[in-house]
Amino acid sequence: MNNDWELVIGLEVHAQLKTESKLFSSSPNQFGSDPNSNVNFIDAGMPGMLPVMNSGCIEKAIKTGFALNFQINPYSVFERKNYFYADLPQGYQISQFEYPILTEGFVEIETENKVKKIRLERAHLEQDAGKSIHDIDPKYSFIDLNRVGTPLLEIVSYPDFNSADEVISYLTSLRQILMYIDVCDGNMQEGSLRADVNLSVKKPNAELGTRCEIKNMNSFKFIRQAIEYESKRQIQVLESGGKIDQNTLLFDTSTGETRTMRSKEFAHDYRYFPDPDLLPVHITEDQIEKVKSTIGELPQQKLQRYVGEFKLEKDVAKIVISEKAYAEFFENLISAKLIQPKLAASWLVGDIFSFIKDKDLQIVDIADKSSKIIQLLEMIEKGTISSKVAKDILIEILQNNKEPVLLVKELGLEQVSDNEELERIVDEALIGEEDNIEKFQSGSDRVLGYFVGKCLKATKGKGNPKVINDLLIKKLK
Amino acid sequence: MSDINIKKVSYLAKLELNEEKAALYEKSLSEIIEWVDNLKKLDTEGLEPLHNITEKSQNLRNDEVLKENSTEQVLSNAPEKAQNFFRVPKVVE
Amino acid sequence: MPTIKEIKNQLSNKNISVQELYDDYYDKAKKSKLNSFNHLVDPEYNKENINSSQARYDEGKDLSLDGIPLGIKDLFCTKGVPTTASSKILEKFIPEYESRVTQNLLNDGSLFLGKNNCDEFAMGSSNETSFFGPVVNPWKNKNNTDSQLVPGGSSGGSASAVAEGICVASIGTDTGGSIRQPASLCGVVGLKPTFGSCSRWGVVAFASSLDQAGPITNSVEDAAYLLNSISSHDPNDSTCSSHKRDNFIESVGKSFDRPITVGIPSDYLKDINSDIAEQIENTKKHLSKLNVNIVDVEFTTTDFALSTYYILAPAEASSNLARYDGIRYGYRGEGNTLEEIYVNSRSEGFGEEVIRRILIGTYVLSAGYYDAYYRKAQKVRRLIKNDFQRIYNEVDFILTPTTPNEAFQIGKKLDPISMYMNDIFTVPTSLAGLPAISLPSGLSNNGLPLGIQLIGNYFQEKSLLQMASLLEKEFCFNE
Repeated sequence: MNNDWELVIGLEVHAQLKTESKLFSSSPNQFGSDPNSNVNFIDAGMPGMLPVMNSGCIEKAIKTGFALNFQINPYSVFERKNYFYADLPQGYQISQFEYPILTEGFVEIETENKVKKIRLERAHLEQDAGKSIHDIDPKYSFIDLNRVGTPLLEIVSYPDFNSADEVISYLTSLRQILMYIDVCDGNMQEGSLRADVNLSVKKPNAELGTRCEIKNMNSFKFIRQAIEYESKRQIQVLESGGKIDQNTLLFDTSTGETRTMRSKEFAHDYRYFPDPDLLPVHITEDQIEKVKSTIGELPQQKLQRYVGEFKLEKDVAKIVISEKAYAEFFENLISAKLIQPKLAASWLVGDIFSFIKDKDLQIVDIADKSSKIIQLLEMIEKGTISSKVAKDILIEILQNNKEPVLLVKELGLEQVSDNEELERIVDEALIGEEDNIEKFQSGSDRVLGYFVGKCLKATKGKGNPKVINDLLIKKLK
Repeated sequence: MSDINIKKVSYLAKLELNEEKAALYEKSLSEIIEWVDNLKKLDTEGLEPLHNITEKSQNLRNDEVLKENSTEQVLSNAPEKAQNFFRVPKVVE
Repeated sequence: MPTIKEIKNQLSNKNISVQELYDDYYDKAKKSKLNSFNHLVDPEYNKENINSSQARYDEGKDLSLDGIPLGIKDLFCTKGVPTTASSKILEKFIPEYESRVTQNLLNDGSLFLGKNNCDEFAMGSSNETSFFGPVVNPWKNKNNTDSQLVPGGSSGGSASAVAEGICVASIGTDTGGSIRQPASLCGVVGLKPTFGSCSRWGVVAFASSLDQAGPITNSVEDAAYLLNSISSHDPNDSTCSSHKRDNFIESVGKSFDRPITVGIPSDYLKDINSDIAEQIENTKKHLSKLNVNIVDVEFTTTDFALSTYYILAPAEASSNLARYDGIRYGYRGEGNTLEEIYVNSRSEGFGEEVIRRILIGTYVLSAGYYDAYYRKAQKVRRLIKNDFQRIYNEVDFILTPTTPNEAFQIGKKLDPISMYMNDIFTVPTSLAGLPAISLPSGLSNNGLPLGIQLIGNYFQEKSLLQMASLLEKEFCFNE
């Protein structure tokens, strides 16, 4: 940060829960449907309608509690947050205030190879609001209530962030964890995960500055931009002798600037009180234990295991665990213990990933090819085929579903590792190369590569590069 | 005597009161608040507020979808609608 | 007035057909000048139900309320039938769903004559706040027969219609006394069941922790018949109890096989007038005749009940009424911005008393006042609940007057607090969530009906109705 200003950021992340139905009504919890087609009378706030709690939401909240090291509160209360807006049919949002379901958790993030603990103050369940469409007509706005009542878990951090990097690292980890435990689908374009960024600046050892809140951000790229812009703006104001007004802001993605939302007088008196249509939620030890047993391995645990047990390079392991589907695919490959984990991992993050990215596929689309890939990897490990040949065969498996063992036999692609044969090829390759031999002997390593290439060509790529390499070195000395 | 900010209260409740009405309601509210102020005489130290008379736990329903109504039904009483949306004057955020 | 049992016998014996009975009541309702209905259902609309009902009688398979023409307070959402809450803001609202309570009544074969007028959003004690005009009490002051009297409120239309005999019975709602007080002023029976006894699903909400549906009838037995129908578990209402309901008819008219103690709270009788005092004395005599043990009891919280109620009920109402904004249904005021539409719809759509209560409710929940008012009132509510529980250690029932006065003149223009004082005897029971019934016990010096209130313990409606039926026989009010 310039001129020793410190950045202080707190995040409120809203995660849409991946349940079938909504938090307090049995309407479908679905994105992208026709307008007002997932709305029942409760969602629409019709007279006399009453909320009923979805057990699936409690379960997902408990899971999140475990995954984020929260205290899971056996007693929690739903309260009404009262305000008026076109996308809020009841005139209040059912949320939690005094007694949230989760308190005091943390997430560890890694930035610049340091581990930092981000403390989480609380997480609570609440209803999402509908959507207003403002930009298709000059005179009118249009209201779609499909999203009303979608379950949200709002995760509130302490103001522990001091940089945009830390914020992005946290959001990446948080998203990953929530997807791992099947609590949220992490689809940010669809608004499954949104963040309100609370930002202030201060000088070292000074008191916290006045903060502004940038609302409803759902893109890592724009969050970074918003933080950069807003921090600069606040510094500028303070350095020119002004003071920061506590404001609610929106980030304009087209201009790259933050601007105030229409500020409302008295706007923040939400008059919270316990919702008289609902009773307090009591969670038993049994329920908690039951949910605990359904949580699989978390990303951090997988990372440790892959590095510790399988001896994967940390960077490689991080890529494998970056999505649960990748990790599952990887674990599937090595489950029968037919191949080395390191080998499987390197092919996964290399050629396999390239293929699916190239063809715009998901890892799950090639899951049925797992057993063939295992066969291929076995052959590589045994030295039956060379890496170069393997790459081509991989494409044949993934694209045309070919059987690797058969294909190798058919096309006679077995790697040639026989010393006698390769020695013959090496001798042949060296004929008439006196100039290059001299170059090598006077220190040029590049020449070696040239000779290896020449030999490989002579073997039509089937030659074992390592053996060729060793033979060449022996002969050239 | 209570200090009722009738302007703030009516704003929060989305009610518009002309000067005359505002004065009347302010007086009315002051009297009522003064009347209910007798609660101050009671010692309620350490008492838990009573939110629900039943004092039981919230019952839960299974995470299942039940589609019991159509879009038409939800929009049937709308004063202004267009193509399955509710329509309001343009909102500027 | 004929009872449900008597009418059903007539229908079973073919002395009258379902259609004839219905037409008879419909005509009476149409001719009534007391304004107790906001809307009479078009007989064509009921044709199918009438025919099905008749078919069941013909086969001897009639349901418990088959063919009985009822009034329904205009607070219950009735599918396809206008539901207005007696407010301009819902004047043209037609629900696409049926409330649980009215669905139960339909399932038991009853017919809906129409929607009874009431105080706007159930806020009032005289049925004078209705957008559709005041309801008139069928009773007249014998010393002043010209003046029109209030029927009480908020279920004034229900009580008036039942008293006038233009429907067999009506279902009302009671939040602070809205069934019992009008029943008392109109000389009919009104029961508020235990909170959680009947589902609130589809009932236009006033105060969620207090609202309860209940019957207004000409006899205790009829109240029991209706309670059998409307009291049921509803998983769609989280505050509705899941316990197994009694058969409320079973013990009506039967003597108790155990000694019964009734407590009379001295604090309720502090400032009552002579008419009311006479009702209590009279009732005591009847109770003695029934070998009931009478004891004096005393509450410590009675003086604080009205304050508690007039903090909590408006608070909940202010939030419950936030949905009326002119956007998805109801009256929409003019406006060029969203804000204007909200403000105009609500300011023009709500009446004075509703606005007053929304303002009170908003105030007591607002920052800086929540602890001193709302939270404090919830603590006092616990004191009130405990107070009743203490007394129930010694008694089976509690006897009090229902109202502090007889029916007064329409347009008397009581100031709000004086109007609120009408609920002084009914509000404590509401706060405690207990069941209570008002029985007409006699007439005042002006010849106007007065009621006494019997309060039972949680979910003891069966024995409450039993006790009430025994007293009813003693009172011989209808003779």
